[in-house]
Amino acid sequence: MAGIRVENIVKLFGRVKALNGVSLEVRDQEFVVLLGPSGCGKTTLLRIIAGLEHAESGRVFIGDRDVTALPPRSRKIAMVFQNYAVFPHLTVFENIAFGLRMQKALPERLRAQVERAATLMHIENLLERYPAQLSGGQRQRVAVARALAVEPEVLLMDEPLSNLDALLRLEMRAELKRLLAESRTTTLYVTHDQVEAMSLADRIAVMNAGRVVQYDEPMKVYQEPADTFVGGFIGSPPMNFLRLPVEGSQARIQSLTLELPSSPPGKDVLLGVRPEDLEAHLEPQPQSFPARVLVVEPLGSHLLLTLAYEQQQLKVTVPPDFAAKSGQTLWLRPQPGRLRWLDPASGQSLTHARQA
Amino acid sequence: MRSERYIPYLLVLPSVIFLLFLFAWPLVEALLLSIRGSEGWTLEHFQRMAADLYFKDAVKYTVLLAVVVVPLQVILALCMAMLLGGISKGRDLFLYVWTIPLGISDLAAGIAWLAIFTERGYLNSFLQALGLIQEPRLWLSYETPAMLFLAVVAAEVWRATAIVLVILVAGLQLIPKEYNEAAEVFGATPWRRFWKVTLPLLMPSLQVALILRTILALEVFAVVVALGGRNLPVLAGEAYFWYNAYQNPGVAAAYSVLILGISVLATLLYLRLMRPRQEVAA
Repeated sequence: MAGIRVENIVKLFGRVKALNGVSLEVRDQEFVVLLGPSGCGKTTLLRIIAGLEHAESGRVFIGDRDVTALPPRSRKIAMVFQNYAVFPHLTVFENIAFGLRMQKALPERLRAQVERAATLMHIENLLERYPAQLSGGQRQRVAVARALAVEPEVLLMDEPLSNLDALLRLEMRAELKRLLAESRTTTLYVTHDQVEAMSLADRIAVMNAGRVVQYDEPMKVYQEPADTFVGGFIGSPPMNFLRLPVEGSQARIQSLTLELPSSPPGKDVLLGVRPEDLEAHLEPQPQSFPARVLVVEPLGSHLLLTLAYEQQQLKVTVPPDFAAKSGQTLWLRPQPGRLRWLDPASGQSLTHARQA
Repeated sequence: MRSERYIPYLLVLPSVIFLLFLFAWPLVEALLLSIRGSEGWTLEHFQRMAADLYFKDAVKYTVLLAVVVVPLQVILALCMAMLLGGISKGRDLFLYVWTIPLGISDLAAGIAWLAIFTERGYLNSFLQALGLIQEPRLWLSYETPAMLFLAVVAAEVWRATAIVLVILVAGLQLIPKEYNEAAEVFGATPWRRFWKVTLPLLMPSLQVALILRTILALEVFAVVVALGGRNLPVLAGEAYFWYNAYQNPGVAAAYSVLILGISVLATLLYLRLMRPRQEVAA
């Protein structure tokens, strides 16, 4: 087992800068998720670590080895591909055994490893089948088993669950989490699905436009986004951002004044607040501000309200039995300690230093 | 709705009529021709064919040509296709140049190679200029069957490798690149990737190329006639001579039926030997 370290990776596709000087460290036995919208460079970064793409500059280390110039086969990695890439002309057994055969493993070890990996993925009764005789979920299991069988130093996963239907994805997600918690294999996992990232990761590296914008534990990333992009990308519905005037070291929402952690550079400041961190009341309350209900959406477990404060819209979630009608005015009380303050010009958090 | 169901049939009808008229009907006619004599059904045409002086050589050289030319073409085309896969810039240029022979008729190709191998041809002039031979050598006479055979092999390989190349290039492009990447990540060297991943996944295209080329190789005619006349007898050539020179359509038809028989046999053999393994298991 080993950690991964990448330093100042720059990757160009023609004139487009896919990666803009990315540095990242994954500790030994850690599960790190690269999260970002499509085109942010997360898959490119993973492929550079795998050796399937070459960076214009920068270095890649696995353990203490500088693998920048090594071909993929010498990097002691395993990978799970988005479309599985399970070889159609080989049986499940031979697919799982592929990496071991390439290492010229002894027959006893090979058989034992294949059976162990197949049992972990619950496909031990499918070993003689061909991929064409398997369902999508079963092929996915073969792809993961193939990766586990070689006992890699580092496991790379490129959106491994995105081709599964929603129910199966939920099931596989929990299973992957159990599996990788047991094996403690250093894992780098790419996804655009923030729920997947939150659920699986020890740490999440949020990427945007070829950079890592925040690298932290899931709850930190959720509660303390480094900038408006992270706040808006993670969470469904996303974080609300209200532009408020600054008076001294305080921000004002109508009669409510809120302390700022540091004085912002401009006349305005952005308040970032999650929809569940605004407490809605039917009557005026202390420490609250009024907003008009525009839309009420019942979502089963809760109601999602869209409200207008002056010209700005915000989303709030309330319990399902909350009596709200559109056109009504509600009083919203922000939960102290759950508020983020950001610079409206740069979008950066006032308290969080930018990563990378 | 109802009338639309007939549209597909209507659209394929012209080609079906064309094929029935120009292929199926002549095929049946040839079959009948080969087994019908002046007094009803007979095997005399086949007996006469088998007893002919040229028959054994024609069978030998036709099969030998197919056995030598087809594997050569497939291996060569496979190498060329893999090389093309490694080129990023100017790949199309190489592909176009390599496929130029496809645009040349087989008779023209035969004549072009005749110009090389003939007594006063390019090969002799070249060897004389180098001082390797003193006077022109005869390459294509009945006394040098091996050389004649090699000349036909060279001409056929030059002329028809491109069709195999086109089929294999198309086949290679159909293989998703993830398979090769997965093999690479799991430790396969380029050589093992070729044998363990690319080649097995290319099987359907190889099968098409082999069947097509074998059938065409068994029908080889114009190149052989242009280079050697009847000095290198082949089955299609014999059919031609029996029909034209001997005015005997019955024996000519017998030769055609024999070619058909060998072609069908070869095709069935390929289909059986190269069956995808998933189907074997199922």
